[in-house]
Amino acid sequence: MALTREFYRALEDVVGGRNISEDPAVTENYRCITAQSSAHYGPEDTRTPKPQAVVLPGSTDEVQQIVKLCNKYKVEFKAASTFWAAMGFIGSDNAIQLDMIRMDSIEVDAKNMLAIVEPFAVGGTVQVEAMKNGLTCNIAGVGCSSSTLAGSSGWVGFGPSSIFTGIASENLLGAEWVLPDGEIIRTGTLGSDGEWFCGEGPGPSPRAIFRGWTGTAGTMGVCTKIAIRLHPWPGPKWIPVRGTAPLYMADGLDNVRAYTICFPSWDAYAEGFRLLYEADVCYLAHRQFNMFGRDIKTALVEIFTHPEKQFCDIPALVEDPYLKEQNADMKIDVQIVLAGFSERDLDYKEKAFDAILEQIGAHKSEYYLQQDIEDFTKLYLLRLARKNYNYTLCSSYEGNFGLSANVFVAAPLMEEAAALKKKWEQTHTGVAAVGGDSDMGSVSGIGGGGTTGWEFFVHFDGFDRDSIYDSKAHIDETAAWMKEKGLGADFGRWNTEVRHPDGYNYTQEEHDAMYSKIAQPGLATYQWKIREAFNPNHLTGSYYKTATPPECKGKK
Amino acid sequence: MAKKSLFDMKPVKGYEKKLEDFFPMERRCSNCLGCKFVPFEKIKSNRFGRNCPSVWHYNFNTYSARGRFQLGQNIIEDGYVKFEGQALDAIFNCQACGACDVGCKVTRFNLEPLAHNIALKERAVEKGLAPVELKAAANSLTKQKTMLPDAKKANRADWAAGLKLKDVSGKETAEYVFFPGCQYAYDPELQKKAKTYVKVLQKAGVDLGYLGKLDMCCGGRAKQTGFREEFEAEAHANAAAWEKAGVVKIVTPCSDCYHAIKRQYALLGIKVEVVHAVELIADLVKAKKLKFKKTLDVAVTYHDPCHLGRLGEPHEDWNGTEKKILNQVHTWEPPRPRYAGTYGIYDAPREILAAIPGVRLIEMERIRENSWCCGAGGGCSVFNPEYSDAIASERVTEAQATGAEAIVTACPWCEINLTGIESDNGTYLDVVDIIDLVAKAL
Repeated sequence: MALTREFYRALEDVVGGRNISEDPAVTENYRCITAQSSAHYGPEDTRTPKPQAVVLPGSTDEVQQIVKLCNKYKVEFKAASTFWAAMGFIGSDNAIQLDMIRMDSIEVDAKNMLAIVEPFAVGGTVQVEAMKNGLTCNIAGVGCSSSTLAGSSGWVGFGPSSIFTGIASENLLGAEWVLPDGEIIRTGTLGSDGEWFCGEGPGPSPRAIFRGWTGTAGTMGVCTKIAIRLHPWPGPKWIPVRGTAPLYMADGLDNVRAYTICFPSWDAYAEGFRLLYEADVCYLAHRQFNMFGRDIKTALVEIFTHPEKQFCDIPALVEDPYLKEQNADMKIDVQIVLAGFSERDLDYKEKAFDAILEQIGAHKSEYYLQQDIEDFTKLYLLRLARKNYNYTLCSSYEGNFGLSANVFVAAPLMEEAAALKKKWEQTHTGVAAVGGDSDMGSVSGIGGGGTTGWEFFVHFDGFDRDSIYDSKAHIDETAAWMKEKGLGADFGRWNTEVRHPDGYNYTQEEHDAMYSKIAQPGLATYQWKIREAFNPNHLTGSYYKTATPPECKGKK
Repeated sequence: MAKKSLFDMKPVKGYEKKLEDFFPMERRCSNCLGCKFVPFEKIKSNRFGRNCPSVWHYNFNTYSARGRFQLGQNIIEDGYVKFEGQALDAIFNCQACGACDVGCKVTRFNLEPLAHNIALKERAVEKGLAPVELKAAANSLTKQKTMLPDAKKANRADWAAGLKLKDVSGKETAEYVFFPGCQYAYDPELQKKAKTYVKVLQKAGVDLGYLGKLDMCCGGRAKQTGFREEFEAEAHANAAAWEKAGVVKIVTPCSDCYHAIKRQYALLGIKVEVVHAVELIADLVKAKKLKFKKTLDVAVTYHDPCHLGRLGEPHEDWNGTEKKILNQVHTWEPPRPRYAGTYGIYDAPREILAAIPGVRLIEMERIRENSWCCGAGGGCSVFNPEYSDAIASERVTEAQATGAEAIVTACPWCEINLTGIESDNGTYLDVVDIIDLVAKAL
């Protein structure tokens, strides 16, 4: 469905000829090949629909004009920045894609401890600008190559440092938001001639609409600028790096310590989480390297810290007696970073930390106390610059057993979930055999206390059809198992409710059928009313979950 | 006993790779942005955080290595896109600078975005779809043995006039053969610098010769621009000439030639010892065969040429096999060379600058394996000078931000492309060949 020439020329007038294209070489490049991302749920060759044009706006004013034109010509649109997974892509043949790459500014307001960022400012660059001012930001677990704005305004956004920095929604302050109909709202204090420092008011406070719990996934217009909270960083203005590619290590961060803690049991793990949160000593807490799999995680860290080694060395490393012993020691583990704002502060944190370990019978891994490995770990966790290690093992992965729950609920189920995965590894060659448990995630990542945000990584090869199908089938079985256990939906599957396996939007009728049966259907009908008020022409896809209220059915 | 040949002449395993052989990589790319940003641990500011000139300038994803992976899949595997329009634009507006390759290989073990980008160019060239300026350059390579427009083979050795250089094309022999490369051989300003290189090396006692009538282009630019057949023909012609002249070691002041001979020729099985002039000079300084006597009192910044730095790593022979372990972990046995830019030539030029009294080196943000390209790579300065200049301007802006008075480099292509380019604020910065500083300080 080609765009009318009138509409295309109008868009061209807004952004200029070099910032719009309908050439297939460009438009085909803005189709998500879902098997390659961490949101695969369709056949291996599924792609999201092809946009009729790709537009690169350079300012809020341009975004507003584009959105108004889309409303005038009734063409769907979706904005995205770093295009991680299918969420950022359009879901209809009658749609254009906005790529926000030209809007990448970062302004740090050190006095008020906030940063004002545009969509293509990524976690890695926001953090580096913040650190110049003795500050840092929350970087979601997706990694520092993802858009800070997208994570903060559009999705859940917990990460390794969330125990200290909070999760994305907690960090969102004022926002500049182009509504689906083209009106611009400046939220919170920003909307009352104030500055960016508060997202709630005294100006307009549409946080529940704009942000909510999971975020609106780019379906409520275009957020063009937000302010996020920054948090104290006790380190240098730039973390010195030693080593050469591909091994980079933090150098000389004497007031920052990285440990890997080994727990005697899952009960101790859960209790340890609780105590660590209560003691408020952690700068960062994340189960990170277990994402490669219980049996091979130490082998992988060896490979990453010895660049002459490669994956063909895994079998030998797994059998290395010392590494084997260390790996067994770290069966139930978590990575922790302590940061001292003064010598006394660090001393206190170390003592409190050691006391907790003693209380629960846990200990520090000796393997991770080796200087190079500690410095590699520090840099990895503080900068979260190697998101792509998620993909290194097999080229693709999918989150499974994704759970945001009280740690005392989740931890006791860990071995059962691990056994389920291990069974698949043994019976289906499509799933990488890494030892069952490949859980990773934040400690106290959500809301600060006691809850987890974790998932099992299922590593699969995006080039291998059997691998794609086997991993999907395994994830489906885990989802059924979770339902049976009363754990709710695997959060890796949340996307299946918002887009067909073929990449297209759900119709309203389909969503009505889905959401009228949920536990609290009023939520979906409330969302429907919100959507009708803000997005009357339904131009931004089906990621906004709605159900038509019974009294309104057939009226539109 | 038969004379032992310097040249094996048998392409190494994997060299024959065609675009179709990249399907697994196209599908295994994970869209991580490693090909758009300097490795994040190394980024020092938002302003200078990007690594790929092409997507930085054009902004559409198609112009990134990730985009080109998807483009390759769209063209070859799926047939959704043809070799036309913006597909060709994205394919050829790639400097082949290798920044994406380093960014990718920091975490990925089995992707080769640079080789894939070049494979796309090669397929377009096979179809006769290269920009006319590049076709003319390749044609010139075949006929005149240089890719520089208007340069003639007959004038190739003009640069050496007046030098007391042994001509190894005849009966003379030398430990090192000076291989100037086309820019130093033909550009009137650079010819003077070539002479300076020779004089400096001779002053230090290096037994130096040149190829005389056998001297010709290395052909490296043909490879970068997708003219594979022309490159191979040139490489074999050079190999034959060197064989005839009894060449043992080559020293070149050109980073492109260095890369071509060291890495690309090695892939064809042509193995000859080659050093860049800065490596040799740094060794001579360390050995006290070159002593700096004058103080220069200047603050400079050093621009790492792509082909000397991240692409200047030594070739490693590898003859392993591809396999999967742990069901789905893809790897090679034994480990395959990774070429992540680690072992490029970064220290030698810095050691020279450090040894010159009064020279203060102030580093830019993007250095060593993460250096920003000067813009001349991949033939872009030939067929799209506006784009090439924009990339150069970005580098001059970055250099100016250091407060340095001049940019020093060790590549004639970089020198030409950065000279006379305005920075963001409309001002200029001197661009200096490292040999000029060396000569001044002796």
